[in-house]
Amino acid sequence: MADSTLLTLVLYLPVAGMFAIAALPRGRDDLVRGLTFWTMVLQLALTAVLYAHFDPAAPGLQAKTSVPWIAAWGVSYTIGLDGYNILLVALTAFLGPLVTAGAFSAIQKDVKLFYAMVFLIQFAMLGTFLAQDLFLFYLFWEAMLIPMFLIIGIWGGERRIYATVKFFLYTAFGSILMLAAVIYLVWALWQSTGTVSFAFADLVKARLPLQAQQWLLAAFALSFAIKVPMVPLHTWLPDAHVEAPTAGSVILAGVLLKMGTYGFMKLGFPLFPDATLLAVPLISALAVVSIVYGACLALVQTDIKKIIAYSSISHLGYVMLGLASLDLLGIQGAVIQMVSHGLTAAGLFLMVGMIYERCHTRELAKYGGLAKVLPVYSVFFMILTLASVGLPTTSGFTGEFLVLLGAFNAAWREANGFALAMAGIAVSGVVLGALYMLWFAQRFLYGAEKVPHGPVADLGGRERAILAAITVAVFGMGLFPDSFLRMTEPAARDYQRLVSTPRLPLAKVAAPAPKGEVAK
Amino acid sequence: MNAQAVILAMLPEHILLAGIVALMVMEVVSDKPRGELALSVLVVAAAATAAAILGFSGQNLAPFAGQFSVTPSGSLAKAAVLALAVPVILFSREDFGTGAFYPLLLSSLYGVCLLVSGDSFLTLFLGMELMSIPVYVLVLLAFRRPESAEAALKYLVLSGTASASFLMGASLLYGSTGTLGLTGFAGALASDALLARTAVVMVVVAFFLKAAIVPFHTWAPDAYEAASVPVTAYMAVLVKAGVLIMAVRLFGTAPVSVALAGLLFILPFVSIVWGNIAAIRQTSFRRMIAYSSIAHAGYLFIAFLGDGPGRFQAVVFYLLAYGAMNILAFAALPPDRDDLARDKLENLKGLFHRDPLAALLIGMAMLSLAGIPPFPGFVGKFLIFKNVIAAGYTTWAVLGLVGSYLGIYFYLRVIQYLFMTPGEAAVPAAGPSRSLAMGAGLLCLAASVLLAVFPGWFLGWL
Repeated sequence: MADSTLLTLVLYLPVAGMFAIAALPRGRDDLVRGLTFWTMVLQLALTAVLYAHFDPAAPGLQAKTSVPWIAAWGVSYTIGLDGYNILLVALTAFLGPLVTAGAFSAIQKDVKLFYAMVFLIQFAMLGTFLAQDLFLFYLFWEAMLIPMFLIIGIWGGERRIYATVKFFLYTAFGSILMLAAVIYLVWALWQSTGTVSFAFADLVKARLPLQAQQWLLAAFALSFAIKVPMVPLHTWLPDAHVEAPTAGSVILAGVLLKMGTYGFMKLGFPLFPDATLLAVPLISALAVVSIVYGACLALVQTDIKKIIAYSSISHLGYVMLGLASLDLLGIQGAVIQMVSHGLTAAGLFLMVGMIYERCHTRELAKYGGLAKVLPVYSVFFMILTLASVGLPTTSGFTGEFLVLLGAFNAAWREANGFALAMAGIAVSGVVLGALYMLWFAQRFLYGAEKVPHGPVADLGGRERAILAAITVAVFGMGLFPDSFLRMTEPAARDYQRLVSTPRLPLAKVAAPAPKGEVAK
Repeated sequence: MNAQAVILAMLPEHILLAGIVALMVMEVVSDKPRGELALSVLVVAAAATAAAILGFSGQNLAPFAGQFSVTPSGSLAKAAVLALAVPVILFSREDFGTGAFYPLLLSSLYGVCLLVSGDSFLTLFLGMELMSIPVYVLVLLAFRRPESAEAALKYLVLSGTASASFLMGASLLYGSTGTLGLTGFAGALASDALLARTAVVMVVVAFFLKAAIVPFHTWAPDAYEAASVPVTAYMAVLVKAGVLIMAVRLFGTAPVSVALAGLLFILPFVSIVWGNIAAIRQTSFRRMIAYSSIAHAGYLFIAFLGDGPGRFQAVVFYLLAYGAMNILAFAALPPDRDDLARDKLENLKGLFHRDPLAALLIGMAMLSLAGIPPFPGFVGKFLIFKNVIAAGYTTWAVLGLVGSYLGIYFYLRVIQYLFMTPGEAAVPAAGPSRSLAMGAGLLCLAASVLLAVFPGWFLGWL
């Protein structure tokens, strides 16, 4: 089978799965769970084939499908794999079966609708990564909101309605301004080059005056920064995470947050390079604030889910720092950090879910000494904690180390004191990260034995299999980072080149005066 | 005028007229006529098909030159509007088993057709009255509460004011340009003369009144709430479509002048903001839809800032997407003991567990009305703001989009009721079968999917 057919199959398999489970008779929840799980496994297997066929050295899109869609507006349906999205697509497909299996016991209400929504969000997330046309990207980007809104709102905790509405309204606000920016950008492209197109490949050719670039970057950045989330736009995240069911948190932390950083890398920065270069100090400052502030907040939380939620803010700060460094190592590290955080945060949220199912509380003070009672659980928990703080040989180390190396490299090369200071403060974030996670683990696993609603059983086979899969991936990325770095290197170079090349308008070539400008 | 052109060009109108006559005869001949619903659906569908054939075969005919003409794009718009009426009739059975409903509705549709094809203020006025007068009766027809009479009167008076303003504008226009044709209005739009400008403003005010733009909107929530569900759907979708298509034809393709752009932006923008905010507080589904439709009228008038053929395309596409989803929501609305209970938003609580299909349909309709992709409402909004930005009004477009953001909350609240709030497990009394209403809903859904997936195909014909 041709790779492009395979990719289409991977993308639309969740849609097929959704209709298939909708057609199942009522009351056959086991059938729904099984069908969902095996569909996700099939999707993962097909993605693995695509991953194996992916040739990092080949230029351009691979496994590409491109057909004109709305010709008059220059919209095409284009999807494909490249160095930017290959790892994230793999991550999404990898987490699919784990999310599904992780919810087998937790979700007992409206099972059919739940898995239909999991399918839908899987489809929308893959679509967002694969889309190579801005219109298509925007459709998928927004479509992600709906299933997430329902997942948090229907199966969430006590304040679920508040949390889910907040989540929706926050993200939708960013999107609405991005929509205006998208329309303006395409119009400006038409004005400056005469091409009407939404294709990413064409949009990077637009030559915009600095001021326009700055406005557009601001609109895109707002939308992406809310999704990441970067301080100070992060306040929806703890609420959403705490109220979401485990599967919702895993999807949020595992993949959804990466949409923001992916958006910056694929669109935000490369589309408006001149504005980006000017904004680099601001972006790295916000990234460092996110790292330190997120870590500080994680330190003082008493709710175990919130600790991990705030740690996400901190970890994604590294990704932004790496992207803003514009150093090859830093960019590579940012990509690895995205995937690594996807794995560790997903794993930790799953583990929080597992203990919550047993003990029905998320309050840290109620726990203690789990290591003796739940040895298997504690081993996995310790591994994921150490991966999260970036212990060498785990994926977290590769990501954070490369990001910091890149940040120092860039600062040193340009003898930029501010950048150096930022990189220096970011290092303190690593220390803080180790502090809050290890302190958390110490109170949680060691000390006096406290098990609410005990005695409880240790992990079952299903749960062990899920965590084992994540652990293998975490060590895989830590021990063999080369094979992953090789996949993304051309994309990282491409990103570096795009952002470093100025793209202001050429000397006045009698640009047509914008129509209707008089009207203002 | 040749007879062949008269027959061919006005075929959709002739079919409607024949249907009206047949329905009236049935009413007179038989005490308990049956098959009125089937006949009406058939007639409207046939008229829509006739209009579609006229459009696709590219007929440019002017049977009454200067008064009435058909163009391919006009015929397609007519076909689209008539097609929207089919589901409205389909789900009217619960409220109107029989009676005057069908001939009145068809008469009103005849008026809408005249608005789509009329070429002079005379025909347009005729169409406007023909469209509105049956609706006054329809609001009262399912007389259920005393407020219905009050609302119908309010609607009658304000609508009459609109007609007066329209006539005043027309006479001023005649005074300043010496013609009642569309070209005369185009001339007045470009003119700086006081008389011509006043004429334009009077006509625009008439549109604002009819389409319920703030501050001329107060009749809408009352009338929508007082009428029965199918009539509300008809007012929200078809009457609005008639007014907007008439307006967009009068404005043509020329860019609007700076002063007029201000008028066409500010009041619609206030409508968007106010409609979206006021909708948050409503407890009645139909009142909420009324405020939502006030906001949607705002987007539609903002589309007038764009110029070129894109303006007509944007308005018609938006009307179709908005109309299909609105009718979908009304069709899927669950029945209840009485009209008041049915209208309560609270009634939707936990609907997913009682009737999953209806809940999914209403949910999708709400998301589409909120303009969330990938639903057709988004494509319509995209098209409007694309044209407005292309015309150079970037700041206003951004403001309009931010205004549309305000609307998301109350649509989400409906979804929250449908899926997230447990309802009292009250099983609705066994009413007449809902199969026709659900059929109407699925018809709208199919149309919406087509609109969302192939917008380019439809726009290519307009």
